[in-house]
Amino acid sequence: MSVLVIAEHDNSELKSATLNAITAAKELGDVTVLVAGSGSQSVADAAAQVAGVSAVLHSDAAHYENGIAEELTPLVVSTAASFDYVITAATTFGKNLLPRVSALLDVEQISDVTSVVSADTFVHPVYAGNALETVQSSDAKKVLTIRTTAFEAAETTGGSASVEALAASDAVGTVTLVGRELTVSNRPELGAAEVIVSGGRGVGSAENFAIIEALADKLGAAVGASRAAVDAGYVPNDYQVGQTGKVVAPSLYIAIGISGAIQHLAGMKDSKVIVAINKDEDAPIFQVADYGLVADLFDVVPEMTGAL
Amino acid sequence: MKILVPVKRVVDAYVSVRVKSDNTGVDTDNVKKSLNPFCEIAVEEAMRLKEKGLADEVIVVTIGDKDCETTLRSALAFGVDRAIHIKTDNVLRPLAIAKALAKLVEKEAPQLVITGKQSIDADNNQTGQMLAALLNWPQATFASEVTVEADKVTVTREIDGGLETLTMALPAVVTSDLRLNEPRYPKLPNIMKAKKKPIEAIEIADLGVSTASTLAVQRVDEPAERQAGIKVADINELIEKLKNEARVI
Amino acid sequence: MSNYVAPTKELQFVMKELADIESIAKFPGFEEATPDMIEAILEEAGKLATHVLDPINLSGDQQGAKLVDGKVQAADGFKEAYQQFAESGWTSVNMPEQYGGQGLPFLIQSAATELWNASNASFALCPLLTAGAVESLIAHGSDELNAIYLEHMVSGNWTGTMNLTEPQAGSDLAAVRTQATPEGDHYKIKGQKIYITWGDHEMSENIVHLVLARLPDAPEGVKGISLFLVPKFMVNADGSLGERNDAYAISLEHKMGIHASPTCVMSFGDNDGAIGYLIGEENNGLACMFTMMNHARLEVGMQGVGISDRAYQHAVSYAKERTQGHAHGHEGRVAIINHPDVRRMLMQMRSLTEAARAISFMSSHAHDVSHNSPDAEERAYYSRRLGLLTPVSKAWCTEVGMEVTSLGVQVHGGMGYMQETGAEQYMRDARIFPIYEGTNGIQANDLVGRKLLRDKGVAVNELIAELTEFTEQASGHENSEIATIATMFTDSLHAFEDATLYLLETGSKDPNIAAAAAFNYMMCMGVMTGGWLMTKSAVAAQAEIDGGNTDAFYTSKVTTARFYAEQMLPRVLAHKTAVLNGEESTMTMAVDAF
Repeated sequence: MSVLVIAEHDNSELKSATLNAITAAKELGDVTVLVAGSGSQSVADAAAQVAGVSAVLHSDAAHYENGIAEELTPLVVSTAASFDYVITAATTFGKNLLPRVSALLDVEQISDVTSVVSADTFVHPVYAGNALETVQSSDAKKVLTIRTTAFEAAETTGGSASVEALAASDAVGTVTLVGRELTVSNRPELGAAEVIVSGGRGVGSAENFAIIEALADKLGAAVGASRAAVDAGYVPNDYQVGQTGKVVAPSLYIAIGISGAIQHLAGMKDSKVIVAINKDEDAPIFQVADYGLVADLFDVVPEMTGAL
Repeated sequence: MKILVPVKRVVDAYVSVRVKSDNTGVDTDNVKKSLNPFCEIAVEEAMRLKEKGLADEVIVVTIGDKDCETTLRSALAFGVDRAIHIKTDNVLRPLAIAKALAKLVEKEAPQLVITGKQSIDADNNQTGQMLAALLNWPQATFASEVTVEADKVTVTREIDGGLETLTMALPAVVTSDLRLNEPRYPKLPNIMKAKKKPIEAIEIADLGVSTASTLAVQRVDEPAERQAGIKVADINELIEKLKNEARVI
Repeated sequence: MSNYVAPTKELQFVMKELADIESIAKFPGFEEATPDMIEAILEEAGKLATHVLDPINLSGDQQGAKLVDGKVQAADGFKEAYQQFAESGWTSVNMPEQYGGQGLPFLIQSAATELWNASNASFALCPLLTAGAVESLIAHGSDELNAIYLEHMVSGNWTGTMNLTEPQAGSDLAAVRTQATPEGDHYKIKGQKIYITWGDHEMSENIVHLVLARLPDAPEGVKGISLFLVPKFMVNADGSLGERNDAYAISLEHKMGIHASPTCVMSFGDNDGAIGYLIGEENNGLACMFTMMNHARLEVGMQGVGISDRAYQHAVSYAKERTQGHAHGHEGRVAIINHPDVRRMLMQMRSLTEAARAISFMSSHAHDVSHNSPDAEERAYYSRRLGLLTPVSKAWCTEVGMEVTSLGVQVHGGMGYMQETGAEQYMRDARIFPIYEGTNGIQANDLVGRKLLRDKGVAVNELIAELTEFTEQASGHENSEIATIATMFTDSLHAFEDATLYLLETGSKDPNIAAAAAFNYMMCMGVMTGGWLMTKSAVAAQAEIDGGNTDAFYTSKVTTARFYAEQMLPRVLAHKTAVLNGEESTMTMAVDAF
């Protein structure tokens, strides 16, 4: 069986989510990574180093620079012809691109795969993770997005795949990137962090989030937030952990001033160790926390930062 | 400009769903159903464009059984002009939905399709993208801001790591994210008027779309439940446990 | 904290199976009141209640309304919520289309009233009083006045108040002293009013005060009071707002509950005199006010229902979450809902709330039929029924409100007594309902004095005849559970008949007997009538079950009716016994001995 994994990158680095997708792909067959970008040789080289990757297809053209789905789709569709599986990580990049590919291949995509049962059977969450659906696909070709938290990241070294150049598809030109506002941070990326410190409505204001950030920096952690904190404008939207935000599963998740609404729990309950700090002892977050501390976050969070 | 808004009837966001004891699916009988929250945001956005004079007509469409009429009525109560009900008793997956919608787009010729980025039941996040692909239209998914000017649309999208702004020629497909807008509370007179607005019924067979799926559900399970742990007395105990018991710091 | 969920399925069930909305929808003008329309209306109203009104209920209680520089400031979020509420058209549900209303049955308005009061009783009082003022103006206002004011009030653009009470004139309105002096086309009003709910605020552009006052040459007592319209801002000829009228809130009461509802001391005419306009005829103010009062009494009954349901939902949510102790048949610590006594409290809360809702909706049904049926005989019959049910709706449903909200605190245990839990707010808020709009004692006297004795038992006997016919059928129901419920109800109906006969025989001879027994008679009728409607609900639910409907809603209906029959209906016998024996021990002791 042959698997095509679409790489996610910024033309210089391979995004770690792709490493998780590669691990899932390895369970299905021989892995080829498609790198489509502009000036993206370093990404192709990095992909070739990833353990378990057999081949890298590299297509470099100006219209692939920004990862625009309309431009990438024709390339992926034509390349997919010789593969049994087409896979991306279930990131906003993958979620945006893959259904477009799937429709043109006339295949029913399976989203957010958390487990590979067999060559044609997969598990994925529905109803915000309140149910896990096991589906069998009879499509000749399978199109899957992979929930990154369900699969370990593949090692970035140890592989020695060949890099084969692939002719670019024609430019489509219907979509123009006006700009990006990316959150600049020295902290690890939320989706890939080993430790996450998240704040909720209890934090009270954008200024107070400094308390959360100080602890995160002490722990080398990423900063997350509940939807309530994002909606209240304390932090940007890409901090949101939850059903409609990011789904994370770090080794340690520290929830501070977060009550634990179902939609938040859906985004973090697979974390290995959960710590909850909340002054309301009945907050639902304590029902999923390994360690709970009933206390005023304004007292104990700075104390923790100081003690570490 | 004409805007088509595909919407879905789903189990209400506030209902906690239960997996059936025979593991064949989720129990959705006798459970409160509502307009999918993301679709509600899509309807709101279409109405705002209309109210700004940027659209002449807003049409909602849904696919499903007769109960879906209630969902169309609640969308009509936003002030939407008319509704189309593509009728089927089968539960469709995104590809079939996109194919049916593509047929409808041929018929209605809207310049803009706005729909929710995903439904909160199946959580697939596919339909808008698939529709765009089948129509060979550009797409702007996970929109948090939409600006329409003459023959193009500019959309700010919520992506991992921040925001991205794209501009594209119409016709196009936009899918709404959570922060695109806050849907209005429909006015009572509009709720009453909604009842008198036409709902056009189309049998799905008449669109020539098969409802069959290549995906077969083998079983549905409850996720493993996480057990509550212990309460610690203070920060020192917490740090001690994280270091020596959990070994995560 | 729990999230309020509008019980839309239950509301639709009661409207359809008990309050016969389908017949009401056949009356001319009510064609719009179809089941799917009602569903749509309740769903949207429910959303507003859940997402706009409920979230500011606790904060409103903690913050309260404030008087700052002579102006009342509503608690945070109330102004925005009110504007949303009015813009969405919820002030106009049953108002005449002529004034921009939707012309829907009062029954639908009652269902909506429950949602507003469940989610935020303080807030709900503002539109409640406006609606009463509108009713009064429609019935008694001149065309000129109505042309200027009604459309704005129906749209919620302007709100209304009810100014009756003065320090020396509470339940006894004969003592009203506020003066009205004729001056050209208007009157100058001077005096002070207390307990004026939402007497001032800035949520709407203008406030329309309806004020009871006395003309210079008026006769003594209630026959000498007239009703006046006194706007906060004068209205210019072109409809725009003009000068500030001399009507000000001079202080706010510090209350036990409904903190977010400003209860004002209003001063009229302290400076150059407040300009007012006569409503109806001179010295006929009491009749005008009663139009408003009767309306408000039904709505206050709905307040009791709404707050009961909210307290119940809050308690259920806590009882399912809170783990404490062990229970028979369970391993490990259990959620407290598994403890039998907690169950008892929750079932009591649930069944009383359902019964109270059913009675209130039956009053609204009677209101709609008595006002809108094309059949004069039917109108008269339901007019008597409305008169009979109004004091029971107001008094019994608000007594239920106190009992249920108190149980809600109890379910929470120690946490229930803590302010942050929210349970005690419902109890404090509910405590005013049995007091205002005529205390429950006054309601009971109205029931026994006017509706039973003066009526010579006509309306009561009509009700008894109807229930006898119902229960004869229901007792023979092929389902044994339903038959058992109906049989228990039959016993309570007989007890109520005994109490009725006793009062009809003795009450007209000795007014003290009637008055001393009145409260127990009202309670007796409340519990019994609730039993009738719970039994009827069970019959309707059983029909659904027998028809193959597997929705747990219907089996729960039957179970709740059975609990009510077994655990609540015995109260009818106790109240009957108290009616039959109460007078002597109540009235014998000398005042000095107290």
